[in-house]
Amino acid sequence: MGRRGGHDKGWFQLDNAAMMYSAIQSGNYSAVYRFSAVMTKEVDTQALQRAIDRTLPRFPGFHVKIRKGVFWYYFEPDDSPGPFLQKDIQNPCQPVYFQNKDQLIRFFYYRHRISMEVFHALADGGGALVLFKTLLAVYLRELGEEIPNQEGILDVEEAPDPQEWEDAYARYTRKRVRLGRSDPKAYPCTGTPEPFYTLNVTMGFVSVQALRQVAKGHGASITEYLAAVLIQSILARQRREGRRRELPVALAIPINLRPYFPSRTLRNFILTVRPSIDPELGDYTLEEIISQVHHHMRLHINRQEMQGVITRNVFFQRFLPLQLIPVPVKNFVVDLAYRLAGNRPYSTTYTNPGAFRVPKEMEPHIQHMEVVLGQSYAPRVNCASISYGDTMEITFAGTVKETDVERDFFRTLVRDGLHVKVTSNRRE
Amino acid sequence: MSYCVNCGVELDKDAARCPLCQTPVVNPVCPVDTTIPPNFPVERREVEPVNRRELALLLTAMLGCAGGCCVLLNVLFWWREMPWSAIVAGACAMLWVWTVVPLLLRRVPSLVLVGLDLLAVAGFLYLIALAVDGLDWLVRLALPIWFGCGVVLLFLWYILPRRSILSRCMLILGGCVVLMLWLELCIDLFLGSYQPMWSIVVAAVGLTLVLPLLVIRYRPDLRREVRRRFHF
Ligand SMILES: [Zn+2]
Repeated sequence: MGRRGGHDKGWFQLDNAAMMYSAIQSGNYSAVYRFSAVMTKEVDTQALQRAIDRTLPRFPGFHVKIRKGVFWYYFEPDDSPGPFLQKDIQNPCQPVYFQNKDQLIRFFYYRHRISMEVFHALADGGGALVLFKTLLAVYLRELGEEIPNQEGILDVEEAPDPQEWEDAYARYTRKRVRLGRSDPKAYPCTGTPEPFYTLNVTMGFVSVQALRQVAKGHGASITEYLAAVLIQSILARQRREGRRRELPVALAIPINLRPYFPSRTLRNFILTVRPSIDPELGDYTLEEIISQVHHHMRLHINRQEMQGVITRNVFFQRFLPLQLIPVPVKNFVVDLAYRLAGNRPYSTTYTNPGAFRVPKEMEPHIQHMEVVLGQSYAPRVNCASISYGDTMEITFAGTVKETDVERDFFRTLVRDGLHVKVTSNRRE
Repeated sequence: MSYCVNCGVELDKDAARCPLCQTPVVNPVCPVDTTIPPNFPVERREVEPVNRRELALLLTAMLGCAGGCCVLLNVLFWWREMPWSAIVAGACAMLWVWTVVPLLLRRVPSLVLVGLDLLAVAGFLYLIALAVDGLDWLVRLALPIWFGCGVVLLFLWYILPRRSILSRCMLILGGCVVLMLWLELCIDLFLGSYQPMWSIVVAAVGLTLVLPLLVIRYRPDLRREVRRRFHF
């Protein structure tokens, strides 16, 4: 097993994205996200716990502890029992603490809903969804259903495949590094912070068919359309604030790299693109914003440019003088840089892991899927969406009191003739 | 099922208000159903904020122990005539203010904390002066220098965070120049008469560095050009 020596001893190094997420994680912030499946029947907790116990050995990369070495963090297999299914709570995506015996992956149930929370250093949404889909299949098998291993469901009887735990960033680096230019500052879109630790979640449900029609009418894909509507809501918010000089509004949209660079890894393998609109250039109509987003994404999502960014990131990670700096110092610097620059070029994040496809046999058992991005580094709201069958679920989650971004967003969808159903965990 | 009259979105059956705009739901045909279980769990889990008390306690114990032991040794054994332990104890107290106070007062603005740190330094200087009979140099040399450093530090601390990189460079350079001028003034006055020498040189160098920055800062096209060249 393993091309790297460390594999024999059981530990493995963090990939490029994971290093960043671990370094910026702190007492009141961690990059945690949640996937939920709302089933048609209430959750059978014992069957689900059995399913977790049967599924996780197939996914060793998720059952790990994070350890702090002198020069870097590393993952170590976790031999303690668990993770254990917990009762769901109102404020999801709580931070993880490295010091405690805190699990980096958590499972919850509430009535019909099965939820899984993952610390972003372990895997990106694409990888986590493979685990979640497999878990749901094993759970349904525990309930006596016949579920085939199709549509990306892994066979839990098989031994884990080392290729699923490769650091795909490292594989796709080029020889030559070209240092990039940093992005300009974007409108921060922050609001009144809620008391520690609250996460306000607002979900909207839209028909995928209808949404595709509307997006097509604008000449864009669903992701591009939703991103453009989000940009428009944030632009309107900035306008209401009445700034003397308005800043560009830019989104961070994570792109799954697997379609462009073949890899079977379940760990992080994403990059972000950054469509932006500068209101100083004049007012944009929704049509124009959609066109900007559409063309930006088509222009910048290409193998060469993305490989350049991967090479640059990995270069910094492997740069020996940087490696020799002890972890606390490195964390401090990365954290500071993230505080000063990393989060600044983006107004917020919008992520769309795409359609959740399951074998026909599973379809009658799942009502819809949900996704929640945990809190942002700054008090602001971020957006995520996932589709299953004909239901597109769009979540706004954040630690702010205001609701204006999501309000304008859903009102725009309604104005475009879409039926939106809204639900929230806010209590007044 | 009800719709928000403001937003036009469908709401949960048990929603009393629209979660987007807080408009109350008033629907005589379909009143708010409070009997069905809510869509999200109501139970909250409170995570404890990271516990800094323990660290504060540990540091307090360490510093207190070091200071206390020295005082004890001083009183019982070594050089009883000279209160050297007072200096060690004072240093411990100063370190305590520097490290433990920020841990305890997390909501106090950092400017106040820096002010407290400076006061701790002043107290320590006073202690040294008392211990070595040097009230004269304390009043005439140490305190003026301390005052100058304090003013410049507090000013920079207050003004730096909201500035661009260029302005920061200028302000730090300017602060250094002012500090050097003040330093020489204090030293010269302590030694005799004021004859500015080296601080003038420092000031000249500082100003020659600041001036181009000033020009760049206030000429937008020049600034853009510099940004383009240096990638920031
Ligand atoms: Zn409303």
